[in-house]
Amino acid sequence: MSLAARPVRRRASIHRAQARTGVLLVLPFVLLFAGLFIVPICYAAYLSTFIDRLVGGATFAGLANYTRVVTDPHFWAGFGRVALFLVVQVPIMLCVALFFALAIDSGRLRGGRVARLIVFLPYAIPGVVATLMWGYLYGPNYGLLSQITQALNLGSLNLLSSGNILGAIMNIVCWEFIGYNMIILYSALRAVPAELFDAAEMDGAGPIRVAVSIKIPAIRQAILLTVIFSIIGSFQLFSEPSILGVLAPNAIGNDFSPNLYAYNVAFVNQDLGYSAAIAFVLGLIIMVISYVVQTLTNRKAGGE
Amino acid sequence: MRTALRRWTAVGALSGLAIAALAGCTPPTPGQAGAKSAQPASASEMKKALNTPTTLTFWAGVPGIEEEAKLFEQKYPKITVNVVDPGGASVLYQKLRTALKAGKGAPDIAQIEYQFIPSFRVTNSLVNLAPYGATSLKSKYVGWVWNQVADSTGVYGIPQDAGPMGNLYRKDVFEKAGITKAPATWDEYAKDAAAIKAKTGNYISDLPGSDPGQLIGLFWQRGAKPFTYDGKKNLTIKLDSPEAQAVVGYWQGLIQKGYVATSPDFDNDWYKALTNGTYASWPTAAWAPLFLQSAVKSTSGDWRAAPLPQWTAGANVAGNWGGSSDAVITGTKHPLAAYAFAAFLNSDPASTKLLATKQFLFPTTTATLSDPAFVGQKSAFYGGQQVNQQFSDISKTVDEHFDWPPITDYLFSSYTSTLGKAIAEKGDLKAGLSAWQKAVVAYAKQQGFTVS
Amino acid sequence: MTVSVSDALVPEAVARSPRRRTVARHRRPSTVLTVMVWVSLAYFLLPIVWLVITSTKSNADIFNSFGLWFSRFSLFDNLQQTFTQDHGVFGQWLLNTLMYSVGSAVGAAIFATAAGFALAKYRFVGRRLIFSVILGAIMVPGTALAIPTYLLFSALGLTDTPLAIVLPSLISPFGVYLMRVYAAEAVDDGLLEAARIDGAGEFRILYSIALRLLAPGIVTVLLFTLVDTWNNYFLPLIMLNNPALFPVTVGLTQWQSRASGGGGAQVMFSSVITGSLVSVLPLIVAFLFLQRYWQSGLGTGGVKG
Repeated sequence: MSLAARPVRRRASIHRAQARTGVLLVLPFVLLFAGLFIVPICYAAYLSTFIDRLVGGATFAGLANYTRVVTDPHFWAGFGRVALFLVVQVPIMLCVALFFALAIDSGRLRGGRVARLIVFLPYAIPGVVATLMWGYLYGPNYGLLSQITQALNLGSLNLLSSGNILGAIMNIVCWEFIGYNMIILYSALRAVPAELFDAAEMDGAGPIRVAVSIKIPAIRQAILLTVIFSIIGSFQLFSEPSILGVLAPNAIGNDFSPNLYAYNVAFVNQDLGYSAAIAFVLGLIIMVISYVVQTLTNRKAGGE
Repeated sequence: MRTALRRWTAVGALSGLAIAALAGCTPPTPGQAGAKSAQPASASEMKKALNTPTTLTFWAGVPGIEEEAKLFEQKYPKITVNVVDPGGASVLYQKLRTALKAGKGAPDIAQIEYQFIPSFRVTNSLVNLAPYGATSLKSKYVGWVWNQVADSTGVYGIPQDAGPMGNLYRKDVFEKAGITKAPATWDEYAKDAAAIKAKTGNYISDLPGSDPGQLIGLFWQRGAKPFTYDGKKNLTIKLDSPEAQAVVGYWQGLIQKGYVATSPDFDNDWYKALTNGTYASWPTAAWAPLFLQSAVKSTSGDWRAAPLPQWTAGANVAGNWGGSSDAVITGTKHPLAAYAFAAFLNSDPASTKLLATKQFLFPTTTATLSDPAFVGQKSAFYGGQQVNQQFSDISKTVDEHFDWPPITDYLFSSYTSTLGKAIAEKGDLKAGLSAWQKAVVAYAKQQGFTVS
Repeated sequence: MTVSVSDALVPEAVARSPRRRTVARHRRPSTVLTVMVWVSLAYFLLPIVWLVITSTKSNADIFNSFGLWFSRFSLFDNLQQTFTQDHGVFGQWLLNTLMYSVGSAVGAAIFATAAGFALAKYRFVGRRLIFSVILGAIMVPGTALAIPTYLLFSALGLTDTPLAIVLPSLISPFGVYLMRVYAAEAVDDGLLEAARIDGAGEFRILYSIALRLLAPGIVTVLLFTLVDTWNNYFLPLIMLNNPALFPVTVGLTQWQSRASGGGGAQVMFSSVITGSLVSVLPLIVAFLFLQRYWQSGLGTGGVKG
């Protein structure tokens, strides 16, 4: 008995030691996370149950702020805008990123390393600076792009008008993040084992065929990752419209994106509770959409 | 496993505790701490305060205002003034409000534009300076300026600079259109606009949809009184009064005929348009001449300054655009020293002179406004004209009373999506004006004001 | 719900333990492809070229000249102006940015590595829950937390101090995610088990075996957090009032906003533009030297080759 029990006990103690080490390793992060994320979020949830008025101050209101969000046309206007942004901008950005990743990975590109660096470069430029730069370029009368169209006798180009502003922002976000997504996809491509497509190439499949039917399916999960990140990023759209808003004040209202709206409700209208409620509803929608996208993708993949 | 579990519960308990601690306090409401009104201060108390080692924090968006603070420190060596620009005027109020909400981190003194004073009064964030003797300063200031910081209940800031409105115009462009003198009336202005468009293809000016400051200044000139506010709950909002409608209707005509541009101001395009004469004039405030001089240097000598065109021939009325006060913030531990600083900065002759000549702030004291060293300056940018004299004279013609609502943040931010949008898109300005009125009224009601 | 999120996010390429293609195969370069790619690169370079050209112009010339060509050369005047404006605060801003980003990046990499490794290689209660909550955290908009965090920090006296910027940047949920995936792939369970049988303690194992294997992943997390903090605007905008503590992003927008009229207004476009150029140079240089790590850390198969 005792002989047999010893290794069991020993294994048990190893397990205990491992569990202890695991907890010790994860603990610093968890503590920080609790203090800097969980506590503020609980505080925000608590604040969201109060209505904050200039006259009379804060009064407890239960879920009234949440029902207000659901029926707030400003919230849904902004939501519609970022949804359109998501549907148009994300596919363009990711397709271009995928194209560059495949082109560089194919080994058929001259100066591939330099190209990779140039595409990635905008990611190193702070969003604030990027938006300032594009703002100068967009100027409807004397911005660079207008100067060029005027020189070509095409008239001036007002990229800051209400009709064009969403496209102008899409362009800035594309410029900033194509390289970032390209690097994620390219890294995944590098990890695709060569034997997967060697055979196909030997059979005479062209590079486009190899890319479409072998490489892209092989990095499906990396693509999904970039899609999920882009969904989150789109719904959280904030810095670009907020900085561009100075140049296009009439095209970018306070409610341009839900996140910008939450910011203005908090900092301009001084209504913390309502701002928190907007952010929570937005967070919930993001989670639901990310979840749906994943299940759909996975189900589709499973069916193949 | 047990140990792991126990640690876990400890973590949970810890964060739970923190949450409970937070939940113990109700959401922060600004101004509760210092809502009690100040006691009158005797001369001996003031003397004592100024001889006690003290550090004051002063938030201001004026580059270089440390120089004037140094004058104060030289006079009262026990007191140190820490001048902080928390990130430009646009974020100063946001940061001030957030700090007030947190009950910590607010400055002793802050630079606050006239139009935002009521919005800080409603949250009890400004110290009433009357008990410290501020009413005695009244005689030093131009009458309408003093009305911006004081009412029957008290004094809530010391005037620092002002923006009485005049008209800066490009003499060269006007001459090209065959016009030799500045328009004296708005009728004349419209005729000049037509001539400039026909002869040069340029606009007489730009009416931006980005910021209502200029337009409200023009309302002010026309005699509109859009707001009355009792400092508590009662608020009147009449943005679509007949006077305002008249101003808006006038500009609608010019915009529709293509005489006036409607691009945002203070951006890259706008500076270029001022540089190359696309905008032949700028109905603007007294702080603008020096600003323009540094912004569009290459047009030196082409500009002239004149009073605003008048609604009736022979009249002499102006409005105001901008200008700010220095207010003492509730919660300061040194209200006496803070008041003394704000008063010194804006009434000491050496300090006000330096503000006017070094920081380019347009003066608010009658003494500086008549100081030959200030008004006598000739400016080459304006062809040798005494521009300060011009605006000093205009300053005497500003309508005495104009009240601001306690919801200026919203007033300004809703403009861009209502009237401002109508202007930018050259749409129906009167409809935009009533949309603005409606939005502001709805917000005021939602914030608990009694609106009439 | 978030549990399934985490499962689906583990890249398949990683989970399959692939073999790296060590040598890029010699292929015939395609002229069509090369031309296509290089022409489209103009798009990525255009704003940067504009920035470089414009930083050589004076304020007046910015308004007067064509955007993509030089005017009177005043780069050195601009540089001098940028570095001497407001008593030379710009240099301080650069230094602040550097300290905040290096401090945050090193801290975040340490915490993320420890947590990610533990979540991948140790079994303990709450493991899955922790990972799911961390992933869910990515979805909550930052603006929701801005004011609550400000109020908490204010109560603790942390606002308007460097800690207000560094502390929140220490938690990188994406870093933990990356390190978990990376550790699962790069560190072989058998290797750990063998070390344990040899009697090595858990921390010794981590220190002498795992750390070396995790290095490329760590560098990747380090670089991502570095860039994130370098580019951070929103958090310091809210937390800091003292310009001497500003990072360069907040400082430059402050200068930019001075052009917007009112008493004491100044037009500082040339300083803003030159300052922008100076502020992006260090990161560009860092990228030039470190770019291969990004790739090897992200394409987790790389370590095994």
